[in-house]
Amino acid sequence: MESTQFNTQILNHSDKLFRFAKSILRNVDAAQDAVQELILKLWEKRDQLDEVENMQAFTMRSMRNLCLDTIRQHREEVEIPAEIEYVEPNPYHLIERKDLAARIRLMIDNLPELQRTIIRMRDVEEMEITEIAYVTSLTENAVSVNLSRARQKIREQILNEQKRVEERVWN
Amino acid sequence: MELMNELLEKYFRGETTLTEERELKRYFITGNVAPEHEIYRALFEEFKQEKTETANAPLKKVIPEQRKIKRIWFQTFAYTAVAASLFLLVWIQFPQATEDFAVIDGKRIENQEYVQRYTEKKLNKVSNILARSMEPMRSFKKVRQDMEPLQNVRDIKAKMNAIQSKLNNK
Repeated sequence: MESTQFNTQILNHSDKLFRFAKSILRNVDAAQDAVQELILKLWEKRDQLDEVENMQAFTMRSMRNLCLDTIRQHREEVEIPAEIEYVEPNPYHLIERKDLAARIRLMIDNLPELQRTIIRMRDVEEMEITEIAYVTSLTENAVSVNLSRARQKIREQILNEQKRVEERVWN
Repeated sequence: MELMNELLEKYFRGETTLTEERELKRYFITGNVAPEHEIYRALFEEFKQEKTETANAPLKKVIPEQRKIKRIWFQTFAYTAVAASLFLLVWIQFPQATEDFAVIDGKRIENQEYVQRYTEKKLNKVSNILARSMEPMRSFKKVRQDMEPLQNVRDIKAKMNAIQSKLNNK
């Protein structure tokens, strides 16, 4: 693969890779490092990249694998355990995160890794189910199930939050 | 509104297509959102917001910088080659501009008039030598001219022999 082709097919998608890495690692600096590491690895192996059919799916899959390796290697350094469930925000959180959008981001970030990865690939990056299945090494059906669960959880949390707000108003 | 309700239910079941999801996003971001749907607006706004997030600038320069280094080396080499070529061209074209002198008997002479006179003198000397060398050639030519009458004698003798032989026959 020539450098211009590398720029077009990989480097120009570094923002997407960054968002994806950030979603998995939940840390901006770690995501930056992971993307840089991936890009350098891909650059070193650019001669073999001509055989890749779907470059976007391939790079996203490589990105996820690299991020999961990073989590495994530095598990103790990760602030939030990978499989933690969403917890109700305490008053301090509510003051800190007044903005509903920020709270929704927290809800997504607190989903299990697979579910938050899938919901962001679909709803933020607008990827096809087949591509997500390739990236996550799941069947298409398993992707749809995880996507549905992730969306249902977010919906429940939004509805619960709405209910609490209404209760506060009426009380 | 009924359509949007159905679409939202389908969305949360994970059964919508990408086209339907884009329609939902348009509805929540640009359209008039029904009050009962208002609670979901932030969700779709968050998706839109997340898509605008970008990596830090240096990240994108990882590979271009390597290419830039190569280009700098190439440019340096190219400019050096061009400069060297121009220098050589000037040096070959105008050597007299920097070497306006002559060496006579191992001495550097910059007096142009003296050098000119010296050169004329030497050229005359060469001319005289050549003239003297041609002298034997002139003598040879003179001898040849002097011998031409002998050729006539040979012709006369041949004619006389011919006449005598005719007389003898008679």
